[in-house]
Amino acid sequence: MQKGFYSGRWTYAALVAPILVLIFLFFYVPVGLAFFWSLFLERPFGGGSQFVGLDNFARVLSDAEFWDALKRTAIFMIVAPSLAIGISLMLALAADRGLRGSSAARNIIIWPKAVAGASIGVVFVFVFNPFLGIFAPLNEIWPGFWNPRIDGTDAFITIVVAQVWNGIPFNFIILLSGLQTIPDTVTKAAVMDGASPWRRVWDIQIPLLTPQLFLTFVLEFVGTVVEAFGLIDTMTEGGPGGATTLLIYKIYVDGFKAYDLSGAATQTVILMLFVLIMVALQFRLEKHVKYER
Amino acid sequence: MRGDAIHLDAVTKSFGATPVIDAITATLGGGEFTVILGPSGCGKSTLLNMIAGLERLNSGKIRIGVREVQDLPPKDRGCAMVFQNYALYPHMTVEGNIGYALKVAGVRQPERSRRVAEAARVVELGGLLDRRPSELSGGQRQRVAIARAIVREPRVLLFDEPLSNLDAKLRHGMRMELSQLHRTIGATTVFVTHDQVEAMTLADKVMILNKGRIEQFDTPHAIYYRPASSFVAGFIGAPPMNLLPVTGGGGVLRLDDGTELARNPHEGPAILGIRPEKISIGDKGFAARVVYREDLGSHTAIVARLSGGQEVQVATPIGMHLDPADTITFDFPQDHLHLFDPATGLRLETP
Ligand SMILES: Nc1ncnc2c1ncn2[C@@H]1O[C@H](COP(=O)(O)OP(=O)(O)O)[C@@H](O)[C@H]1O
Ligand SMILES: [Mg+2]
Repeated sequence: MQKGFYSGRWTYAALVAPILVLIFLFFYVPVGLAFFWSLFLERPFGGGSQFVGLDNFARVLSDAEFWDALKRTAIFMIVAPSLAIGISLMLALAADRGLRGSSAARNIIIWPKAVAGASIGVVFVFVFNPFLGIFAPLNEIWPGFWNPRIDGTDAFITIVVAQVWNGIPFNFIILLSGLQTIPDTVTKAAVMDGASPWRRVWDIQIPLLTPQLFLTFVLEFVGTVVEAFGLIDTMTEGGPGGATTLLIYKIYVDGFKAYDLSGAATQTVILMLFVLIMVALQFRLEKHVKYER
Repeated sequence: MRGDAIHLDAVTKSFGATPVIDAITATLGGGEFTVILGPSGCGKSTLLNMIAGLERLNSGKIRIGVREVQDLPPKDRGCAMVFQNYALYPHMTVEGNIGYALKVAGVRQPERSRRVAEAARVVELGGLLDRRPSELSGGQRQRVAIARAIVREPRVLLFDEPLSNLDAKLRHGMRMELSQLHRTIGATTVFVTHDQVEAMTLADKVMILNKGRIEQFDTPHAIYYRPASSFVAGFIGAPPMNLLPVTGGGGVLRLDDGTELARNPHEGPAILGIRPEKISIGDKGFAARVVYREDLGSHTAIVARLSGGQEVQVATPIGMHLDPADTITFDFPQDHLHLFDPATGLRLETP
């Protein structure tokens, strides 16, 4: 932090305080409560709770459905962000090449277009809805070709595609802006050194894009938990046969449909630890690739 | 000498309607140090990039040695380039930066390291090979950029204002080193700058560009002593040459108000040029009034106003006591006059 930008440390405190209060109220308090509840057996229709130690964990961890949901979550967490970032990266590399050496005006024009993509992503959820969207006619040609209602794999692919589609506009903007900050002369130097366009992507552009790639990966990871819930709830409701029941959705079903509040709290704690470990791993990775431009 | 000559043949480039480089034809001598000098925006970098292959020509031809190169990609032209802001790869070590071209070309290890070490030795970078660019000073970064350029033993070395990001003292040191480097390596060197001191000290020949055209392409000596146009005259020298509109007749040159400035056989209107250090102050000649004085140690620079209102810069030997408002007498010696055509700006050769 730059020293002396504001007159005193209290100014900083006053500026940061509102956001800290919000984060505390809506993140740390619920997280703390989840930890607390995971140690108690809560009666669904009131009547007090009973301290049971780690019994809830033992129960959840011996449940096969939990492990299935965790496995699906892990697959989803790897596949969706990789695709969302891979595709965005290719689009950004192409756009960057098109924008190189052109006037700044075109640069400005691209932003609103890219932002508009976000709303397209929302529409997509409906368009690819297997029962209302574009796959319905396909099914008439080849019955059963695409039936996420019956086929678990189709259903899983649907939410992966929706999740990826949703993430692309934002990732694209972040990655493109990162590419645009690579100085023209660095690219020219690589051209003079004989590097082909593909070689420059691997040797120059992607390494110089690591901060942006890291940011998009962290946000995509968190997104696979936060945003995926909405997609599953509107598109598949966890089905068919639990094929799209990721941990986050299972928690919701267990807690609010089956009224297993203690089980839901326990799984929340486990999911939280899971995400924390993933993000911590990414931060460790980030330390190895840090450099000054 | 292993440098190839560069032949430019009606090289033309425009961005949009106005030409940035306007049909330039010239030959840059093999193994010579050519400086392209001109004001900012006159097309120097564009011309250099076209030689390098980073910018396509609209028309014209470029030959390097015997090969026509205007349609070849940069890597096949045998050129290497040093950029103004160094353009180092920030994520690679010094060794990685210098060796990148070799790596791309498929030169294998021990050989690659050996050549990187050799290039680093030439620019005195030993011991820094493991550092990142962010851990180096400006001067060291510039050395890395130069090492990266010479490691492939190019036949043509291109520099785009390589010294303008360095402070004055470093710049002087780097000038001497570049000059020595050029003698050791012997590659044809093209050096772009807007700094006339760099041009005059480094160049075998200077190409002065103005608005995409060559104003003069000659040795530093010729450019200083026989400027080909009033643009060159006003661009070279610190302070630059005084340029005064005069009319010649009856063996003398006069200002509009009739003041007789110098003896010269030219008839009709002309631009009279005279360098500040060639004006003598004495008791013969015409009167002027001192308006400003600066003591610069080695000499005193004064600005004086002539009877017609024109201002003239004069460099006088130290020890002459002049103060603002003093009236002095100037003499323009006949053999130090330059005359230019008022319409075209071109030098007029007086019989
Ligand atoms: N890619 C480009 N697109 C449009 N105009 C350009 C481009 N590159 C250079 N120019 C214009 O061409 C002129 C010459 O540029 P440049 O060669 O960089 O000048 P210099 O290096 O002498 O300062 C400038 O007016 C500049 O604005
Ligand atoms: Mg330039």
